[in-house]
Amino acid sequence: MRIGCIGLGGMGGPMAGHLLAAGHELHVWARHRAANAEFLLRQGARWADAPAELARRCELVCTNVTGGADVAGLAAELIEGFAPGGIHVDFSTIAPATARELAARYAARGVDFVDAPVSGGTAGARAATLAIMWGGRAELAARLDPLFRCLGKTVVHVGPAGAGQVAKACNQMVMVAAIEATAEAARLAAAAGVDFTKLREALMGGSAASRVLDVFGAKMAARDFAAGVAARLHHKDFAMLMAEAARDAVPLPVAATVMQQLDALMAAGWGDDDTARLLCVLEKCGA
Amino acid sequence: MDIGFIGLGLMGRPLALHLARAGHTLHLWARRPASLEPFKDVDARCHVSAAAVAKHAEIVFTMVADAPDVRAVCLGADGIAAGARKGLIVVDMSTINPNAAREIGAALAERGIDFLDAPVSGGEVGAINASLTIMVGGRPEVFAKVQPLFEKMGKSVTLIGASGAGQVAKACNQILTGVGVLAVAEAFNFAARNGVDVAKVREALLGGFAYSRILENHGQRMLDRDFKPGFKAWMHQKDLRIVMEEAHRLGLMLPAAAATAQLFNAIVGSGMGEEDSIAALKLLEKLSSADQ
Repeated sequence: MRIGCIGLGGMGGPMAGHLLAAGHELHVWARHRAANAEFLLRQGARWADAPAELARRCELVCTNVTGGADVAGLAAELIEGFAPGGIHVDFSTIAPATARELAARYAARGVDFVDAPVSGGTAGARAATLAIMWGGRAELAARLDPLFRCLGKTVVHVGPAGAGQVAKACNQMVMVAAIEATAEAARLAAAAGVDFTKLREALMGGSAASRVLDVFGAKMAARDFAAGVAARLHHKDFAMLMAEAARDAVPLPVAATVMQQLDALMAAGWGDDDTARLLCVLEKCGA
Repeated sequence: MDIGFIGLGLMGRPLALHLARAGHTLHLWARRPASLEPFKDVDARCHVSAAAVAKHAEIVFTMVADAPDVRAVCLGADGIAAGARKGLIVVDMSTINPNAAREIGAALAERGIDFLDAPVSGGEVGAINASLTIMVGGRPEVFAKVQPLFEKMGKSVTLIGASGAGQVAKACNQILTGVGVLAVAEAFNFAARNGVDVAKVREALLGGFAYSRILENHGQRMLDRDFKPGFKAWMHQKDLRIVMEEAHRLGLMLPAAAATAQLFNAIVGSGMGEEDSIAALKLLEKLSSADQ
């Protein structure tokens, strides 16, 4: 398949590489021809001078950028290039409402928009072990599944356009709430003079065991706050989540509290660190 | 009248003195002899135990820290019940869990002792000026006997309902004041971080639906950055813990009170427990900045 890729950073770079390795004809465009783009071009990817040019050449274009405004900006250019039947697969994490709007705008031109946010971080992108949750027309599954299988282990069609982003918002809500819960356990243990390393070990054998307690608990125990995923990205996701909750009038009391802790984390200047920094927010209220 | 008074701290001392000045004979017992010093010049007799106080009094007031203290003073060894004659009235002015008040009241009733829960609002200043708000739970005929004494201590005295009802009213008071102080602190921090003159915001809001005594009084002290108590943050933390315990017992959802209770934990945890509750503002400022 002729596939275009935009957004070749820590996530998008390795993902494009996997598509190329699987034998697809890869075309790329980037605002700046950085190291990841050059690497792909050396492997046989072809350069396009503009997003619209990329869409003209490809049946399917993947985007992997930061926010909804970035995706909407690219979509406005891509739509000028796509032939009817084209597909825009967006792997970014954006608001479900934005995904729905883009899908409607594309549908008027006979182009599909698929929201396919991922979970698993840069390690998952490199190892092709991502969880991919996608929203869009179910009929696209036959064409998309083989591509998604090059990138991730868990691929789930959640529902129509926007459903993938709803799933991702829920993913972020559950995960960051668990990070906060882990931080609170670590803080409570420390205040009571209990060794959190041992506590974590004990808890990992019981009902409270989780991947977050395992991975983020270990980071907190080691006081290693170097980012896997930068906390400011979770902070951004929570703003979207709370906006969605307000739109649908759904109370999310735990998520609202977690968002306050993330706000304090940002205020402290830790946005580029790991979200395990939530522990340090709690420590700010200690003697 | 012979009146017992146990718990002669910041609040109890001025209240006991009001009763002495009204011509009553005080019977006192205190763990620390220093607490009895201010009563040298009034008609007061000191005893060796709470039981001994009860033996000599018709009514005994208690004003201590928390439910275990009330329980110990009333029902413990050498406590009030051990020395009381039939018909004694115990009036607890401490702030404790409503359910604990009901239990203590029931335990005393089994021994023929009447009990009123009568927590107060108004702080040390209110105690000194005899301008407290007193919220009472218990039987009306018992309340009627104590009412003239309450009026020596407070301006607003209300029988709310049966045993425990006074503590329920006090818990409601602490929900409103705790959430209210935090709401004013949040609004002020929001205005300040937007570069807006906080004093002008307060002035404008006092004229509208956001008017409250907390916005007026606590708000002014926040502007003056006067964090002297007033009402100490650790006591508010304790009171909110009582509120949340009671909510849990009843299966009640109190999300705003729950969030407020957590922030009061943070105020006390940050070493500001001895300051006024308006230290909430300093906590929010710290958590909204890069300050460590």
